[in-house]
Amino acid sequence: MTSNSKLLKGKTAIITGCLKGIGRATMDLFAQNGADIFACCQFESEEFKHHIEVLSKDTCVLIYPLYFDLCDSEQIKTAIKFIRSAKRNIDVLVNIAGMTQDALFHMTTIDQLKKIFEVNFFSQIMFTQYVTKLMLQNKTGSVINISSISAIDGNMGQLSYSSSKAAIIGATKTMSIELAPYGIRVNALAPGVIKTDMTANLPIDILDKQLGKIKLKYFGFPLEVASSILFLASDMSSYITGQIIRIDGGMQ
Amino acid sequence: MTNIEKYNKAFVDNFNIEEQELSSISYQSISAWDSIGHMGLIASLEETFDIMMETDDIIDFSSYLKGKEILKKYDIEL
Amino acid sequence: MLLENKNVIITGCNRGIGRAILERFASNGANVFACTRKESREFSELIDKLSEKYSVNIFPIYFDASSIEEMRSAVKLIQTAKIPINALINNAGITYNALFQMSTIDKIKEVFDVNFVSPFILTQYISKLMIRQKSGSIINIASTAGIDGNSGRSVYGASKAAIICMTKVISAELGEFGIRANSIAPGMTDTDMLSSMSETLISDSLKTSDIKRVGKPSEIADTAVFLASDLASYITGQVIRVDGGLK
Repeated sequence: MTSNSKLLKGKTAIITGCLKGIGRATMDLFAQNGADIFACCQFESEEFKHHIEVLSKDTCVLIYPLYFDLCDSEQIKTAIKFIRSAKRNIDVLVNIAGMTQDALFHMTTIDQLKKIFEVNFFSQIMFTQYVTKLMLQNKTGSVINISSISAIDGNMGQLSYSSSKAAIIGATKTMSIELAPYGIRVNALAPGVIKTDMTANLPIDILDKQLGKIKLKYFGFPLEVASSILFLASDMSSYITGQIIRIDGGMQ
Repeated sequence: MTNIEKYNKAFVDNFNIEEQELSSISYQSISAWDSIGHMGLIASLEETFDIMMETDDIIDFSSYLKGKEILKKYDIEL
Repeated sequence: MLLENKNVIITGCNRGIGRAILERFASNGANVFACTRKESREFSELIDKLSEKYSVNIFPIYFDASSIEEMRSAVKLIQTAKIPINALINNAGITYNALFQMSTIDKIKEVFDVNFVSPFILTQYISKLMIRQKSGSIINIASTAGIDGNSGRSVYGASKAAIICMTKVISAELGEFGIRANSIAPGMTDTDMLSSMSETLISDSLKTSDIKRVGKPSEIADTAVFLASDLASYITGQVIRVDGGLK
């Protein structure tokens, strides 16, 4: 990407899950493309603070860190109040924070299922409800949710994860219908196997099997997912809404 | 601006109506107060009074008068 | 500029979506082999204007999409340039509206010749170049009619469904050579082709659509730019609907 293509110049984005993986890559790419950012993650850390200081200076954008637990509704409200007090138009929301806890179907406890739905679905719906209310006045905006190919294809050991990500798909399409009158587009990405902490600890034989199914023959980089998030956040995708786009190196 | 002035302004701005009509209106009683108008009104009130309304209250906010009662829960005296 | 120094081939450049793709690719720094059927002063002027404005090279290539001979000559011409081809955008196509019972054999063959066979053969040639390079992006302009099954679109829709399937197979077979292949499915887009739809049909469709307006050719073009660029490096075998949430 050349430095003179600032696809988000003048825009403000809220990104969750910024600490690492796809969230971190998205935050970096958005900053390089001229967006001011509310960078949300759960815990404060020196490394993160330092990273955003350097990033902000290098790219000449404003980056406000926000530390809160998405599963705590009171903490969400405090975060939203802070964002509101900044009195900026919010142009983009990227819901990246998510977790998995793999277990075979019969060994999945209902508590595990509820926990995964809490993090991957309920909290994101609540956060999106609040953020899109801030966006209503602008008459323009873009929400990007992260689903997964496992929501469409299914995946061994991922009953909870794949179901929670499938829920995101239904919600995305419905939100697209309801928020279109406000000029807000809503889309989701379905990443395949991406090199992050989430996949780093998978056993070799599982990774080899996955690799065999990928037409491009490599696991994706977080930056490659971030690039599609950038496209959906920008005006380049102004006529795209209600879509689920697979970023999987060809796995169907 | 007093609280009641802010409250009225939110209705007037979102629904394009005169202040004297306010006390009688309710959800869907005027064309501007449809589901889209409702969300715009709620967003304005939340911003004006710096509050975050519970979804149950957003659902119960069925008229100009009911709204005043609901805002009391958020310590907004009208 | 997302396509600086890339070389691309675009078919059907003289108007509508193809023309918008030409403009957007040029503005993003790409050199273009701009293919169209007939030479014309208007087209030459367009190419001159764009290549000067954006400091890129634009070579016009003239061939009739329904003639394999002319296409072969065109490819030979492109090959003499001895430059890598980074993207191929198969956009040229014709429309046809007729109820199923009133669709003629002649029209079926004509529509399939232009909309399916022609891009099939052209892609066979160009992908061979891309295999040698071990990289390339193939973008085929399909249509939501190829997915949804709209009244009056049995022939046109089937030809676009054929392109969509072809694209997926290309992505499966050529992925290991670093070649990506994707389709774009435009919904109702503001071009000459749209004028074959009645006003009533358009407004009825917009009633259930999320974004209540027809698309601009530039919006299709921007998605093509995305797919041709490195931003889409991990996307292959996909159909991206650019349809404003058409149902």
